[in-house]
Amino acid sequence: MELLVIPLVLAIISGFATKQLLKYLALFGTLLTFLLIAYRSWEYFGSSELVTLYSLNASSAFKCSFHLAYDGITLLMLLLNGIIFPLLVLAYYHTKWINNNRFVSMMFLMQFALIGVFLSMDVLLFYVFWEITLIPIFLIAYWFGSGERKKALIKFFIFTFVGSLAMLFSIIYLGSFTNSFNYSDVVSLGLTKEVAVWVMFGFLIAFAVKAPIFPLHSWQPDTYVSSPSPGTILLSALMLKMALYGMVRWMIPLAPEAIEVFRYPVIILSIIGIIYAAIIAIRLDDIKRVFAYASISHVGLIAGGIMIFTKDSLYASFLQMLNHGLIALALFMSAGILEERLQTRSLAQMGGVAKLAPRFAMFFAIIAFASVSVPFSMGFVGEFLLLKEIYSFSWISGLLAGTTLILGAIYTLRAYQLSMFSAPKISEFKDLHFNEWLVYIKISILLVVLGLFPHFIFDLVGPSIDKLLDSVFTINLLK
Amino acid sequence: MEAIIILFSTGIVSLFIAMTRKPILVLLTALIGVTVTAIVMSINWYTPMQWVKYDGIETDYFTIIYGATATLFSFLFILIGYSKFSKEVYHTGDYIAILIFSLCGALCLFSFTDLFMFFIGLEILSIPMYVMAGSNKKNLLSSEAAMKYFFTGSFATGVLLFGIACVYGALGTFQLKEMSEAIAAMKNSSALLQVGMILILAGFLFKVGAVPFHFWGPDVYSGSPNVVTGFMATVVKLAAFCGFLRLFQLGFNGLDGFFVEILIAVSVLTMFVGNLSALRQTKLKRLIAYSSITHVGYALICLLVKNEHTPAYLWTYFFAYGFSIVALITVSMIVNDENDDIDRYKAFARTNPFAGFVMILALLSLAGVPPLVGFFGKYLVFSSAIEQYPVLIIIALINSGIAIYYYLKVILTAISKDDNAEKSTVSPLHAIVLSISMFGLILGGFVTFWVN
Repeated sequence: MELLVIPLVLAIISGFATKQLLKYLALFGTLLTFLLIAYRSWEYFGSSELVTLYSLNASSAFKCSFHLAYDGITLLMLLLNGIIFPLLVLAYYHTKWINNNRFVSMMFLMQFALIGVFLSMDVLLFYVFWEITLIPIFLIAYWFGSGERKKALIKFFIFTFVGSLAMLFSIIYLGSFTNSFNYSDVVSLGLTKEVAVWVMFGFLIAFAVKAPIFPLHSWQPDTYVSSPSPGTILLSALMLKMALYGMVRWMIPLAPEAIEVFRYPVIILSIIGIIYAAIIAIRLDDIKRVFAYASISHVGLIAGGIMIFTKDSLYASFLQMLNHGLIALALFMSAGILEERLQTRSLAQMGGVAKLAPRFAMFFAIIAFASVSVPFSMGFVGEFLLLKEIYSFSWISGLLAGTTLILGAIYTLRAYQLSMFSAPKISEFKDLHFNEWLVYIKISILLVVLGLFPHFIFDLVGPSIDKLLDSVFTINLLK
Repeated sequence: MEAIIILFSTGIVSLFIAMTRKPILVLLTALIGVTVTAIVMSINWYTPMQWVKYDGIETDYFTIIYGATATLFSFLFILIGYSKFSKEVYHTGDYIAILIFSLCGALCLFSFTDLFMFFIGLEILSIPMYVMAGSNKKNLLSSEAAMKYFFTGSFATGVLLFGIACVYGALGTFQLKEMSEAIAAMKNSSALLQVGMILILAGFLFKVGAVPFHFWGPDVYSGSPNVVTGFMATVVKLAAFCGFLRLFQLGFNGLDGFFVEILIAVSVLTMFVGNLSALRQTKLKRLIAYSSITHVGYALICLLVKNEHTPAYLWTYFFAYGFSIVALITVSMIVNDENDDIDRYKAFARTNPFAGFVMILALLSLAGVPPLVGFFGKYLVFSSAIEQYPVLIIIALINSGIAIYYYLKVILTAISKDDNAEKSTVSPLHAIVLSISMFGLILGGFVTFWVN
């Protein structure tokens, strides 16, 4: 319970706090949440039980209950959440953002809603938290974003809101077959196939918009570009994970009967997305846009892996989610550093930064290599396992998805080469300051250590995934 | 019955108090009277009072909940409007008393047991509104609104009355209970009854402003003084919906067959016409008018479902809707602009952070974004009809998707940057109303949990 209350209280306090206090609030508040989550994960390690934090039957007319609980999967998402926020605050500690009451307040509200999304064990409660996340990120992007952002943000809001309405339809429709939206009740419903298809379709639309999966992605690059860089980090490292988490936790267990119907279309769309986004990323000039499309490409692979829904693919998907979260933080932070110090996002106007800022160049290189999944990085384990699973599902899709390794290397290294090494076009570039350096070091260590010892993550999520798979498949077999 | 008598006496007393030419005294009398009414109603919840007996009125739980809600909103609107009313010292008493009389009519509609009381209630509800719509005498638009509302309204009343006459001709009684028994005993449906019901339905659709009887809505809403607009959108709509729900459910044993088809068509049309017209509005009150047409479309879904919980769902919906309207009307009183252009709200959230915050909450609640109370109202209404009319719910959800666009446009205007924007002053009364509606918007969901 305290996991939810602390960010909410901090969100209210930081709306009125003085400038000096605000920085400490932001740093120590996010650290406190991280420590609490880390403690709970440590205690939980190796178990597969659903630990209930708080449970209250709210109302029979709404069929909803206030049920918060966690298992290994939830804890991994919470850990990602807990790691990203302090790093975000640290990286932007001296900037105008962390000195702004509205920003810090909205950041804490975002954390509150995200923790709620991951903890809620009731469909309606999940929907409520899911929608709350939209407001703070929208306001952050609107208040602190750059350029002509009004149109992009209206597009963003309408896309995600309409997607969520599709999910609301599924929830309401599901409600006519059950008397309680509690997790344990809805996963054991045993819907007929027709109903299951409709239910899964609604959820899929909502998650495909937020992830985003190929034909519904058009809001994403515009929104990423017009948000301030901490906003982009929140969007890409955390908000998009909500959708992937939702697919595993809600969409498939709710209507496993329909997975056969949607497996092929979603995997095909993900593969189209992987290739399409990568090819666009190769041609682009705007560094933030390159990483935005890279994000579509990487998420496509994870979404495809989730739809295969085997033990290995789920293990790898969760590892990739963590990996993608950390890399997104580092990549968009690098893009933000370049943008802030050069006042441009255009790759054509950069060049020769490596000479002026060797430390930055080194860390950017580490992150870039981790992003293209070289061995010894976390991405290698995850991507390898995912490709293996997609390959054994169907060789042709494995082959096509495999191009992500080559294309990914091309667009990432191209962006790196153009900005860091090409003929010098700038004369001055301030190297990393201490805080940014600290953030890079932490992320690099995490990426390498978890690349060498991924079983830390597997031990945390593994038992819960096994249990989830068991429950989904026994329901399918019983019918 | 006691509540109505107390309320009516309050209206009369405040008319006399107004002779002192001290607006604050009138306000206090009215507020005390309305509060006493609310207290009397809540006592009724535990032990029914029987001081005054009258067969035409019957108090049940829903009467009390609806009555308390309407009283609460009237209370808030009197508070909001006081700053305007008190400027005309000679008429302060008139305005406040007229609003209270209208509330009396609403209370009749929550509790009638025969068609006679139903008609009286509806007229007591409407006539003060005809007067109030034109109360801004120097404004041409206000006079136009009053004329329009009065002519079309009295025509609709005529249609309704004709319908009641037909129903009486077919069934031979005014009592709701006897009517439903007579209908149940009838072997073949009588044409006279059908015609009567259709005419009553038309009168109802006019009163709530559903398509194709919605043309008076936008003009009257934008022409009337702000408080009257708010009162019409909340109390009058709540009362009309409740009255007709009572009539259809208790008197006609629920609607079926042909009428359901009519209502579905009207509901779909109402949603689309309201939404699509609202997309390009540039004035806030016209936007509210069209969006309220859309909301009528959603609320009509309630009438389609035969279910003992329907009154509770309908109540939840209007309870949620009311707080948004109260907040928006207060904000428009604070800005106090003749033209009421949406552009005038530019940077409003920056110059007046608190009022702007409540305004954004109100708009998001209208759009149905959880955890604000508007979401819970919408959710209940939609989930009640999903089994019988899934396609209708899909259409309603599509409309919620369309609606987000114009709410978002207003929100973006309010939070945008404008260095020339001047700060508007927020009077203490408005601040009180804004904080009440803020609590209503955020915590109203829990109230609806409790009531349901």
